[in-house]
Amino acid sequence: MALKQVQTTCAYCGAGCQIMFTVDTDANKIVEAVPADGRTNAGTLCLKGHYGWDYLNDPQILTKRLRKPMIRKGGKKSPLVEVSWEEAISYVAERLGEIKEKYGPDSIMGTGSARGAGNEANYLMQKFMRACIGTNNVDHCARI
Amino acid sequence: MGIPEIEDAGCLLCFGYNGADSHPIVARRIVRGKQKGMKIICADPRVTETARISDIHLQLKGGSNLALVNAMANVIWNEGLADTRFIEEHTKGFDEFLKVIEKYTPEYAEPITHIPADEIRRAARMYATTKPAMILYGMGVCQFTQAVDVVKGLANLALMTGNFGGPSMGIGPVRGQNNVQGACDMGALPNSYPGYQNVTVPEIREKFEKAWGVPLSDQVGCPITHVPHRILHEKDEKKRIHAYYIFGEDPAQSDPDLAEVREALDKCDFVVMQDIYMNKTGLYADVILPATAWGENEGIYTCADRGFQRVRKLIEPEGDMRPDWKIIADISTAMGYPMNYRNTEEIWNEMIDLCPSFTGATYEKIEKYGGVQWPCRDKSMEDRGTPYLHKDGIFATKDHKALFYGTDWHPPVELENDQYPMTLSTVREVGHYSVRTMTGNCRTLRNLEDEPGWVQMNTQDCEKMRLKKGELVKILSKRGYCITRCLPTDRVKPGATYMTYQWWIGACNELTTAKLDPISNTPEYKYCACRVEKIQDQEWAERHVRELYDDIRAQMGIDTGKGAEA
Repeated sequence: MALKQVQTTCAYCGAGCQIMFTVDTDANKIVEAVPADGRTNAGTLCLKGHYGWDYLNDPQILTKRLRKPMIRKGGKKSPLVEVSWEEAISYVAERLGEIKEKYGPDSIMGTGSARGAGNEANYLMQKFMRACIGTNNVDHCARI
Repeated sequence: MGIPEIEDAGCLLCFGYNGADSHPIVARRIVRGKQKGMKIICADPRVTETARISDIHLQLKGGSNLALVNAMANVIWNEGLADTRFIEEHTKGFDEFLKVIEKYTPEYAEPITHIPADEIRRAARMYATTKPAMILYGMGVCQFTQAVDVVKGLANLALMTGNFGGPSMGIGPVRGQNNVQGACDMGALPNSYPGYQNVTVPEIREKFEKAWGVPLSDQVGCPITHVPHRILHEKDEKKRIHAYYIFGEDPAQSDPDLAEVREALDKCDFVVMQDIYMNKTGLYADVILPATAWGENEGIYTCADRGFQRVRKLIEPEGDMRPDWKIIADISTAMGYPMNYRNTEEIWNEMIDLCPSFTGATYEKIEKYGGVQWPCRDKSMEDRGTPYLHKDGIFATKDHKALFYGTDWHPPVELENDQYPMTLSTVREVGHYSVRTMTGNCRTLRNLEDEPGWVQMNTQDCEKMRLKKGELVKILSKRGYCITRCLPTDRVKPGATYMTYQWWIGACNELTTAKLDPISNTPEYKYCACRVEKIQDQEWAERHVRELYDDIRAQMGIDTGKGAEA
């Protein structure tokens, strides 16, 4: 069993706690999470910090992990069909392009994400909406 | 201010913020402050854990925040407790503000807030005379139609007592989700580019046009909470939303008035969902793009006190998922606007050079110091960021002076009435998070709480309705209903009910109103009129809840042994 230790920021609330993970790289599984000495958490964690990473194991309790791009090929309410990334990307690009052409850029809305995706993905999302689509229609769920 | 500074405040005014449930590790700082002798004033309609250790608990009537805040300002001024030197040297607009708060005597506020006038006086005196005083606020301030006014009202209290510009003072929102601060910092906002640079200012827009090589819109965009209306009721075809690219959000569970949200998603021509787990919104998506999750990718989050910190890859994704940034870049490239980045650091470097407040926060520095609190303007290793803002009373305005901003209190939009005689407020669950797709799929956490959740009700109300703990009840508003379990508790006032928003079956957002604060566009999740009904046939209700749960899990792709399909 090859083990490595990685420190990261907790995925849950805005406290920004630091967690030290032990990972079994052969099995590609997390073995243990212990609090690290972060600026805000100073060696402590709450329940979610200690136990909130198990979803990465996809235990099939509540919902299923999304692993393949999917399209409803028969329109709304038709079943989702697994497709390749190439097909999914070009389909989204084509449909958004058509809608932009027909109704203009302000007919498209995009969201940022205040959750796991991180700052860089949010930067790119707003850049995509502003520079590629041509609208300021970008927002996310939380605000002061 | 920074989170570590909380425990060294002389006085903490904790307003509409329940740290023990929403941020247990921040709440720990409050407990440590108490151990060090910090005075605590807790303004909350519920007996929260902070209320239990407070010196003064202002158990106000929901929806009366601004009346209380203005009354505290009134006392501070009339009893000569204001810091007149600070007001004179560092602020503007005080005289106009005084005119607004003049009528908010504690006696005037008492019938609105349900707090005895002398308690308001005692709290105002304690806040104004114990230095340094810090204010923390949470969603109990923000999720009302009068939200921004209350934030400004709290800032008025800090300004008039000179509580800005040093450690352990000022006012701080404690951000709910891990990267609310970051999504705002990065300009995922309809009025602002990254770094809080306004889209309507020509010089700023020109800077971004030059950097991105295309002309940019000078019109403020659509707030997310306007989307259902803009899909369903907008007459102008060019303004109607025809495509909705939803990234890491689940509006069909987390937004108010879910019936309206479902109708909007159903009517929207093209819905793209990019996420890690199947969720309620996915049922309405035309395309689903699977992203890597926290733990499977690299990046930076911003915590509640402006701290940039690294998130690191722990394991390899198993499946055909891609990082969010890569998916967005590929779609952009396919649409004729090429985005070529090799990693998150390349994206970050482009961003910090466009944002003066973030320019100094390089990956190298964040790695070396474990994090950097912005503003951090200089790339030299000596600029380690800014633990607290407005140092020495110098504010981020043109003349460096802070502005008083007084407004009158107004009641929430939907008040109790004959048909719906109680109030509903949504709150957090300690062991579960947001729409629960992450924590509900963690074996330890799911054991803490499960469907259909609880409605917290005062014990007297429960006795009147002959409701026992754990009994299934129906709860209704003008917009919809759901079934949940009754939790009798003396922590809440008679007439008020509280539900956590994680549950599919006990889905409180079937009931909530989509009325918004006019400035922040945040919904009034904390107040709507509702009614609780007893269910006579509990056996049927238990069976019904189990069936609903199985059905939804089957829709989410879980094999429930009943021939489920995705």
